[in-house]
Amino acid sequence: MKRWLYNPVLASSLKTRMRGWRTAAAVTAYLGVMLFIAYIFFKISVENGVMYYLSFSSSGLAGLRVYLMLAVLQFALILLVTPAQTAGVISSEREMQTLDLLLCTKMSPLSIIIGKLLSSLAFILLLIISSIPLFSLVFLFGGIAPEDVAILFLFYIITAFAVGSIGIFYSALFKRTVVSTVVTYITIFFLGIVSVVLGAYMMSVHYSQVPGPTDHYIPFILYINPAVGLGDLLARQAGDPTTNVYYGILGLFFGVSRSLGSPQGWFQKLPLWIGNSAVMSGIAVLLLCASAWVIRPYKRLRRKS
Amino acid sequence: MLVVRDLVKKYGDFLAVDHLNMEVERGQIFGFIGPNGAGKTTTMKIIATLLAPTSGRVVVDGIDVFKEPIKAREKIGYMPDFFGVYDNLKVMEYLDFYGSAYGIEYRERRKIAEDLLELVDLSDKKDAYVDTLSRGMKQRLCLARCLIHNPELLILDEPASGMDPRARAEIKAILKELKRMGKTILISSHILPEVAEICDSVGIIDRGKLVVQGSVEQIIQRMTGRTVVRIRVLRDMDRAISLLKEQPMVTGVVQEDQELEVACKGSDEDLWQLLRAFVSSDVPVVSFRKMEGNLEQIFMEVTSDEEMAL
Repeated sequence: MKRWLYNPVLASSLKTRMRGWRTAAAVTAYLGVMLFIAYIFFKISVENGVMYYLSFSSSGLAGLRVYLMLAVLQFALILLVTPAQTAGVISSEREMQTLDLLLCTKMSPLSIIIGKLLSSLAFILLLIISSIPLFSLVFLFGGIAPEDVAILFLFYIITAFAVGSIGIFYSALFKRTVVSTVVTYITIFFLGIVSVVLGAYMMSVHYSQVPGPTDHYIPFILYINPAVGLGDLLARQAGDPTTNVYYGILGLFFGVSRSLGSPQGWFQKLPLWIGNSAVMSGIAVLLLCASAWVIRPYKRLRRKS
Repeated sequence: MLVVRDLVKKYGDFLAVDHLNMEVERGQIFGFIGPNGAGKTTTMKIIATLLAPTSGRVVVDGIDVFKEPIKAREKIGYMPDFFGVYDNLKVMEYLDFYGSAYGIEYRERRKIAEDLLELVDLSDKKDAYVDTLSRGMKQRLCLARCLIHNPELLILDEPASGMDPRARAEIKAILKELKRMGKTILISSHILPEVAEICDSVGIIDRGKLVVQGSVEQIIQRMTGRTVVRIRVLRDMDRAISLLKEQPMVTGVVQEDQELEVACKGSDEDLWQLLRAFVSSDVPVVSFRKMEGNLEQIFMEVTSDEEMAL
């Protein structure tokens, strides 16, 4: 491997992660949860007589419905698992007093941070890849193309990168893993729920002040919410959300972003999920740099000298 | 090899290191001695480029560690007072990981790791998981880790703390071997006689200040004429300590479980007076032993005020 590509923290983690039963048990539990919820979903659908969708003519819609359910489920699990994977990586090194040993090697603080993030993301990637067989069930029904699944998985990776960076940042900032984990989950909650409420409120205030929905307005706070990006992406993959009630709230933001006024400027013209991914990635990069700054032993010296 | 000039480290109003100056010659073992909280670990972390000082200068082999920390790290091997264990890592992988973190090529670091495991007598444990090793073995492995990039200066923070006598003897033997190999070693401890045995020179630090520095012989010569007495009491430890504080001949007291180590001025007559004071105060003394004059006594002398504050 090229020297500049080689990260000792990542290499060591990749080598040792799959040892023992823990990782295998975690992957099994993850897939078990997904399979269980998917099974319940099917069972309820069958019991409610919605098998209509499984008829030949509507199998595409049924496939879409299963896909949407799996996509949202996997997204929720990623939001749940990623903080647990990342929020302790630096603080636990500090607790074990091994961070100092790493910092006095030739590795830069940023390469330590990147190595830690990538080793956590590698595990998330393993979970995502291991869910491919489950997702491939969708292809039995049709209605979704393989490239749709590929784009969805790319969005998952970007989300895991962004959420993972938040976990790493708090892990670098707080000395104790418990504190960093709690604060990371609170931040994810804020991003997931509060930003939507706040965004919807800002939009309603905005449009109440103009005579008609003539301008294109999406509050910035919605760009930092990965769930909004997912909603937009899934709605685009599903078709026109305004004509299909089954897409429910997933299509809300896509519907809003497409039906209200004309987008101005290149950023607004981008699909919402791409703008969302770009903003989340930008924030993630800033958080990683900030994390490296936090663990640098000499930050105070430079300021004083 | 190591020059520390006017080093100051403040945490808010607390002065952890107070204008500390010291020098260690190449190939020497320097004992950095002081009670807990005296500033040993802070000073060592500053030298190891892990902590920024408030002011002062540290030069390692001609390199200013604050101006060129990356270059300085190549010269320094640091072993903290706590051994951190990574889960799921074997002994060889542990050394391999740190070797790669120092940018050493795979084949070279495997060879170095094999040699180091032989040096610290852990060759037969190379495939064992690190967390299954005994404390003494972990400490030896940690020593091997800080040698992986062949540093010239070793900073060892209390390497013998919490180890049994056999493990201590093993560490001492390795340090002597490292000295023979030409390494400069800065070793901290609060157990003075043990370090004195292997050190060429020692420095005693108290409340951030280096109060005495020199070769072991020089310090003993300067500070002789003092006596250390070990007193064991059955109970009433607090009463025993206040009684000692009242005695004019007592200059320092250290408590270790039910035993007190007391530094005294004066003759055997004064010691008899001290014992009599205990007996007449009805403090249940079960043992009263006069110790031979050594560095422990000096350590207690120079750090006496703080120890009295027990």
